[in-house]
Amino acid sequence: MKFLLRRLGFYLLAAWVSITLNFFIPRLAPGDPATALQQKFQGKLQPEALEAMKKAFGITNDPLYVQYFEYLKDLAHGDLGVSVAYFPAPVSKVIGLGLLWTLFLAGLSVIFAFTVGTLLGIYSAWNRGGKLDSIAPASFIFLGAFPYFWLAMLLLFVLGFQLGWFPIRHAYTDTLTPAFTWEFISDMLHHAVLPAFSIVLASLGGWLLSMRNTMIGVLSEDYVTMALAKGVPERTVMLRYAARNALLPNVTGFGMALGFVLSGSLLTEIVFSYPGQGTLFFEAVTSQDYFLMQGLFLAITVAVLAANWLVDVAYVMLDPRTRR
Amino acid sequence: MCEMKHQFPLFGADRECPEPPLPVVGIPRPSKRRVEAWGPRLWPAAPRIPTAVSPAADILFMLSLPFRPRSRPTSILRRLVALSLLAVVALSSTGCRKKAKAQREEGVAVIIPVLRTTFIRNFNPFLESQSRWPTTAGIYEPTVIFNRATGKFIPWLAEAWYWEDDNRRLVLRIRKGVKWADGKELTPRDVDFTFRLMKKFDALDQSSVWSHVSEITVHDQDVAFQFTHPFTLPALYMIGRQPIVPEHIWKDVDDPVRFPNENPIGSGPFNQVLSFKPQMYEIGANPNYWQKGKPGLKKLRLPAIGGNEAQSLALVGGEVDWAAAFLPAIDRIFVAKDPAHHGYWFPSLEGTVMLYANTKKAPFDRVDVRKAISYAIDRELIVRIAMQGYTREADATALSDLYATWHDPKVLAEEGDWTKFDPKKAAALLDDAGLTKGPDGYRRMPDGSPLTVDLNCVVGWSDWIIAAEIMVKNLRAVGINATLRTYAFGAWFNKLQMGDFQLSMSWSDGAATPWSYYRNQMSKDTYRPLGEAAENNWHRFVSERADALLTRFASTSDPEEQHQLSSELQREFVQKAPSIPLFPGPTWGEYNTKFIEGFPNKKHPYASLAPYKAPGQILTMVELRPAGTKPLSDNPGEGAPGEGDITAQKRAEADHEQSPSTPPETAEEGEEK
Repeated sequence: MKFLLRRLGFYLLAAWVSITLNFFIPRLAPGDPATALQQKFQGKLQPEALEAMKKAFGITNDPLYVQYFEYLKDLAHGDLGVSVAYFPAPVSKVIGLGLLWTLFLAGLSVIFAFTVGTLLGIYSAWNRGGKLDSIAPASFIFLGAFPYFWLAMLLLFVLGFQLGWFPIRHAYTDTLTPAFTWEFISDMLHHAVLPAFSIVLASLGGWLLSMRNTMIGVLSEDYVTMALAKGVPERTVMLRYAARNALLPNVTGFGMALGFVLSGSLLTEIVFSYPGQGTLFFEAVTSQDYFLMQGLFLAITVAVLAANWLVDVAYVMLDPRTRR
Repeated sequence: MCEMKHQFPLFGADRECPEPPLPVVGIPRPSKRRVEAWGPRLWPAAPRIPTAVSPAADILFMLSLPFRPRSRPTSILRRLVALSLLAVVALSSTGCRKKAKAQREEGVAVIIPVLRTTFIRNFNPFLESQSRWPTTAGIYEPTVIFNRATGKFIPWLAEAWYWEDDNRRLVLRIRKGVKWADGKELTPRDVDFTFRLMKKFDALDQSSVWSHVSEITVHDQDVAFQFTHPFTLPALYMIGRQPIVPEHIWKDVDDPVRFPNENPIGSGPFNQVLSFKPQMYEIGANPNYWQKGKPGLKKLRLPAIGGNEAQSLALVGGEVDWAAAFLPAIDRIFVAKDPAHHGYWFPSLEGTVMLYANTKKAPFDRVDVRKAISYAIDRELIVRIAMQGYTREADATALSDLYATWHDPKVLAEEGDWTKFDPKKAAALLDDAGLTKGPDGYRRMPDGSPLTVDLNCVVGWSDWIIAAEIMVKNLRAVGINATLRTYAFGAWFNKLQMGDFQLSMSWSDGAATPWSYYRNQMSKDTYRPLGEAAENNWHRFVSERADALLTRFASTSDPEEQHQLSSELQREFVQKAPSIPLFPGPTWGEYNTKFIEGFPNKKHPYASLAPYKAPGQILTMVELRPAGTKPLSDNPGEGAPGEGDITAQKRAEADHEQSPSTPPETAEEGEEK
């Protein structure tokens, strides 16, 4: 328990550091949101409009430290500011738009890739030299070496555009209204297949390989031989003796991956015009929307820290040694 | 042969067999039976065949797994593969069924006016760049519309206008019988209110109207704008394009700058928000629109598409009726897919893309050096390679086709040949300017110091970068040691504004009259000293003659005099070469006439095809109709009947030279490309 509390304290500190960085980094970049708007319109915007817009966005010339304390104060009130790219919507509302879709798409694909990859890793380590072991790691690493957005584009073009099996954009059919009906859910799943598949395909290899390699190390431990020698059922040995001990590095990775789910799979979402966090992030960066960027970073930071804390909890459960 | 391998799969085939375990008394060896008992459940017998099977056979075996008869005990993996395959097939079959169902309804147009990844509900017409299309011209309407394709001012909510008080007052006569979506009448009070709101909240005043206007008065149907100085055609453009909002709704809005106006009450041809989702929204037609029989469509559907690739696929696949996309090799990629329906029109209706030379830095302060640089540039190559032939070479007046009615070719004939590619002449001019070549083949400044020139461009703007690379090559060919520098947009724009550059590519103004165009090129009003941010006139050029001409232009309402002054301004530009025009910026527009007809194109250029061009887009919007129906009007792009510029007509009457306004060309619209 003490261990968990200590970790919690550490994460609070980390949160403050990241909130501070979160404020300063976007402001160190050249330009400001209004200039970015100018860029978007390539000069089709009248200079007068630019001035008017700066006023509307509340871009001030206060010294940075004044802005920083304002920012901390607003943050404490849960006010993330007004988005520039989606003016005049508040940042919290904009983030809310993409959150569920990203959790659904990226969350499901990360969990799926982790589960399947780890299981395959266990089996291929257990049956080293077997069919699975000689094919799966190599082929998944091969696939994983492609940039994931390239895989996404390929899938989109062949399965979506040429063959027409899957929709090529959006999270659900445009004419449907979100509802808890079978029609909508199946449609939503159908839209998620291609983007999810491209993420899974690209990340499966990593999980498989890291699980397999750790597992092989564990398999040569004495206690495994011992257990086998004692006649413990082999499946029990594989899962409870070997896999459980080999799982720790993968769990750490899983925690990180879950945390980063909120940042969305940026390019996948853009390729499939999927209305998640990734597309918001893209929009925020291209329009130099500090406020939205800060909000998104904050969400990601909190998610990563929370996921890491959960991983710590999981460690405690998986590995009794950490309980001390 | 080692037996362990068969009994303990964890000692894989690739490994050395371990030493046979020491016989330990008391611990029984696992029996053969037990191994067999779990083995097949984990994996069919095959994987435990240790050696002598080729990898190719392994792969074949793996692939065959899901298709094998179920005689063996099914493995977990096989179940997984089979299940996921089943799921994929099931899902894709439901999808196919939907696709067949989701045919286009009659009278629905799918439009991608701008790339946008997610939509937020915002129909505030004062925030032109933030509100959803077509808020500023479609849901709400302006009073007078400048038709970019024909160069005419079209009466819209104002049926007529005239100037008074020595051109210090513009009077708009507001049309009767226009109704808001809630059934209330649109009155001149609403126009007055709209502008007063912009005075109260200056963040709404995006054209800076109140820096010229001192007072607004309403009399019957007339709204009069009193200016602080004589102000004619440019004022009409500035005031006419402002969308008008209903007073009875907006007077209760506390902060109109941050008002998302989620349920707009507009007067435009499409003023019903039928549905709104982050990935798509639909705007329905106004059933009581004041232009009888229009609009021809029932619904506009706008899907959120964030990337160029996605947009291209949607266009090529025929899902979209109207879009503004840059497509490379468009004839092959887009038109050839369905030549009967697919078409495009890329008229050069933006401002001209320029090479700006900083006239406050030697040697660019000299006219002949600027002209020499211009002679050295191969514009034909730039247009063909960098712009894919989608535009033309600029001429020395720097006016794009947007200003076609003002363009004076006579001025060009005099001394406007400095945009022709002529490296020899360039070299001669540079020699005369004292920039002679040193031993390394590069030119020196007259005082002997080396001349190195940086040409600035923006990272990632690939068409401009190609153009800049061509120019660098051209300049080096005439002995100018030029280098291409690319910066992120913010840094590049900052250098441009502060005057911290030698040569820089950039755009130029795309407004309605040569007044604002040349004002941004040559006027002291737009000039800022080096180190101070300039919104325009980045090259920092001031011509007193041009200033005098500009003042006269803004003070006269006589079209003939305006044209004469425009020619003089062009002459001044051609003589002084303040900046170096490269090519007029094209506007993008593609259409698909499979479901929807009535688009303007090269043959029927009644309005601009670019859907993102507010307020001109509304001229196109009201003419669109389901494929196979009759055109909605004989004179598309001319707007609703109205007297337009009464001042000009009165003068024409007075001069007894009245020629009846040219009958509108009856455009036959059925046969588009």
